[in-house]
Amino acid sequence: MATNGTTRTVTIRLQRFNPDVDKKPVMKEYTLEITSDTTILDALEQIKATQDGSLTFRRSCRHAICGSCAMNVNGRNTLVCNQRVNAHLDRKGAVTVRPLPYLPIIKDMVVDRTSFWEQYQRVKPWLVPPDDVPEKEFRMTPEEVAALNDAEKCIMCGACYSACTVTAVNKRYIGPHALLKASLRVLDPRDTITNERLIEISGNDGVFRCHTIFNCIDACPKKLNPTQAIETLRKLAQKREAFVAARKERQKSL
Amino acid sequence: MSQTNTITHDIIVVGAGLAGSWAALAASKAGVKDIGVLSKLHPLRSHSGAAQGGIAAALNNVRPVPGSGSSGPLEAIPPGEAPIDSWELHMFDTIKGSDWLGDQDAIEIMVKEAPDLIYEYEHMGCVFSRLEDGRIAQRRFGGHSTPRANYSADYTGHVLLHTIYEQALRYGVKYYPEWYCLDLIIEDNVCRGVVAMDILTGKLYTMRAKAVMFGTGGYGRAWKITSNATANTGDGVAIAYNAGVPLMDMEFVQFHPTGLYGKGILMSEACRGEGGYLRNSDGDRFMEKYAAGLMELAPRDLVSRSEQLEINEGRGVGPDKGGVYLDLRHLGPEKIMSRLPQVRELAHEFLGVDIIHDMVPIQPTAHYSMGGIPANVDGQVIADAEGTPVVGFYAAGECACISVHGANRLGTNSLLDASLFGRRAGKAMAAFIQNGAKLYPISGDPAQRQEERIQRLMDAPASSKESVAQIGAELKETMTNDCGVFRDGERMARALRKIKELQARFPNARVMDKSRRFNTDVLGAIETEHLLTFAEVVVASALNRTESRGAHWRTDFGRRDDTNWLKHTLVFKNGEEGPRLGYKSVNIDWEKYPPQERKY
Ligand SMILES: Cc1cc2nc3c(=O)[nH]c(=O)nc-3n(C[C@H](O)[C@H](O)[C@H](O)COP(=O)(O)OP(=O)(O)OC[C@H]3O[C@@H](n4cnc5c(N)ncnc54)[C@H](O)[C@@H]3O)c2cc1C
Ligand code: FES
Repeated sequence: MATNGTTRTVTIRLQRFNPDVDKKPVMKEYTLEITSDTTILDALEQIKATQDGSLTFRRSCRHAICGSCAMNVNGRNTLVCNQRVNAHLDRKGAVTVRPLPYLPIIKDMVVDRTSFWEQYQRVKPWLVPPDDVPEKEFRMTPEEVAALNDAEKCIMCGACYSACTVTAVNKRYIGPHALLKASLRVLDPRDTITNERLIEISGNDGVFRCHTIFNCIDACPKKLNPTQAIETLRKLAQKREAFVAARKERQKSL
Repeated sequence: MSQTNTITHDIIVVGAGLAGSWAALAASKAGVKDIGVLSKLHPLRSHSGAAQGGIAAALNNVRPVPGSGSSGPLEAIPPGEAPIDSWELHMFDTIKGSDWLGDQDAIEIMVKEAPDLIYEYEHMGCVFSRLEDGRIAQRRFGGHSTPRANYSADYTGHVLLHTIYEQALRYGVKYYPEWYCLDLIIEDNVCRGVVAMDILTGKLYTMRAKAVMFGTGGYGRAWKITSNATANTGDGVAIAYNAGVPLMDMEFVQFHPTGLYGKGILMSEACRGEGGYLRNSDGDRFMEKYAAGLMELAPRDLVSRSEQLEINEGRGVGPDKGGVYLDLRHLGPEKIMSRLPQVRELAHEFLGVDIIHDMVPIQPTAHYSMGGIPANVDGQVIADAEGTPVVGFYAAGECACISVHGANRLGTNSLLDASLFGRRAGKAMAAFIQNGAKLYPISGDPAQRQEERIQRLMDAPASSKESVAQIGAELKETMTNDCGVFRDGERMARALRKIKELQARFPNARVMDKSRRFNTDVLGAIETEHLLTFAEVVVASALNRTESRGAHWRTDFGRRDDTNWLKHTLVFKNGEEGPRLGYKSVNIDWEKYPPQERKY
């Protein structure tokens, strides 16, 4: 079982970069004692506490729900707080951690997410409910709720966004995270701006830009499926008018 | 002269969790548009998002199947049939849970407005789990006599946080993500603004406002084993205290019974709400001995103490026998996957245990801060026991003490507290502004003082043997060992000496990062300084309270003492002499809810 006392020595290879002083990113190696349940985040914290306080990274919840700590481990995007070091060691007992790729680096593992949040806001992530609300709750069926569960679980960590080959070259593309969010609102029977949403996401920067390479699915630490959401939105965009009419009908009995 | 800039808003909110974003949204809806919300984390990273189990309100959607007993299956209440729940029941449960230390006027407001709050969440897009007929589903939670926890699977806080942040954006609230509040400016009992750092550039700003609200969250990071996010360093309470505001009931810290062994990460109370068992090394459901009525669903303080007793008496499990088992196997895969998916993932990721097949070792973990900045039911912060307002200063959420939780909070009541009193504070601030609140001048240069504080930290030689991390680690060890689930005078006196020693060592601690840009080394040092500041208040308050009540349990004073201690603790900063303790009376309706023995 977990939490046994045995330790082993490992090498943590980190990409370091402070644009104010460094010309370009460099890799540095740190040697560390870990146990079987030391997470990669624990390892970074240990290095910061005992070896180099200037090592910079974001984190908060420690259990894969706040979305702060997405990084690139051995070439794959992932959260680091729920990944044990042991699971990622190569044959020499080393693991390599870099910031999320294709985003400007602020410092070490901290990347600039401006474009990520801009696209998120662009899809109007909020629900626009009907003007007339019932005295109590809207009556949604368990099936209608189930259809939203995937998108609702997204923690906006950016792992998919930074793995997407389209966003890598085109920051105007809405991106998998924001399209997943858009699908949440489009599929919600309570939302009233379905038409506007479907027009926006099927425009030049929207769902038809997706190359369906599935990088986002691989990268998602919550095992969500942005590609599927994009696929759904494509279909709905193609029968937009009928879908909007059905929505209006549904809202009569909500 | 300092190089700092000035930013001005009508309202500045510090903190973008449920309390902060609700306040901003409510103020904006009430017509005040010039609002700035700063948060040291991106708003969606706030700790509210980690809440799992649910948010309380007596909606009357669900009841136990008639005749099935208090832990039997639940069913939807058929249309037209009598309700089983009421605000009065919710109120009594909360008062009893609080061990009669909660203020009953505040509790009444909270439980009465709770259903309306849930419906507002729902109307704004919150995706609650549902019953077949489309109403919001409800589950049981500890200390609540009816199933009144409204939930979204086991990531309720995440869904609420996204909903409220997105609505605040919709209403045009301006956020300052990754801005760190360093100081609160109060002169002549009037709040005038804050000093804050843009973390990205390291630049300091004086932020002036007619009203300031703190929604800075809890202070669980002072303990070694904790369910709290790394951001929960009690900045708000420490900053307010340093600015001359008293702190209330800081000795009351909730230890949640089910933290993952060795990690402290939370396994939601929903585990027990859905029917989970606790077992000791003999395989016995030991709660039979301590709360035969409610069993595992007794309130948290009682369950944590029961666990600790089992551990202390040698019936613990885990590598050093410091935990007990949470057993969910009998719930079956289907229920676990649909109701507790996150919990299953957590146990698997962190301890390699699949709760469908195996028991998972757990232990009490520092979880919730009942105490905080004293405020009235409109979030208005008060300066003394008489309730004198600190003009223009508001607080809500976990950093505030209103006090609805008294000596022990019931699960699902804090998402309610943070949301509801955040909303009330927002409305109150809007009214305050609309009634002609003024922008008061600031004397001196408070930003310059913060600049010097940061410079002092950076100036400590990198070669110094004293490290911030070491000081923080020693503090956490001390708090867990000497001011935890069970307390006594001797250990707490020792803890207090230790904290003094750490405070004295702190100025020599080294900060290695000397750059301005995104300097988490400096911020970590400042957070540790905050821990040292409020930990002293916690221990001094706990040492002073010679009784056992709610989460504050002393082996040397093992009984509740209403004659001497049915009162709130109020602690004032007293310069070099250290905390000065005072008291405030508890609001009690002696006719309806007089103190009783608390038995489950
Ligand atoms: C794991 C876990 C599970 C929980 N589950 C439940 C549950 O099921 N039901 C329930 O009712 N309660 C639950 N709680 C408790 C509940 O989640 C919290 O009490 C509540 O969310 C607190 O909300 P808040 O808005 O006060 O603070 P938070 O959400 O913690 O927000 C604090 C905000 O303040 C900001 N901040 C702090 N310091 C500074 C500073 N110096 N400068 C700038 N910004 C700052 C942060 O960035 C953040 O935005 C749980 C708690 C934990 C730890
Ligand atoms: S620290 Fe919150 S997701 Fe990793």
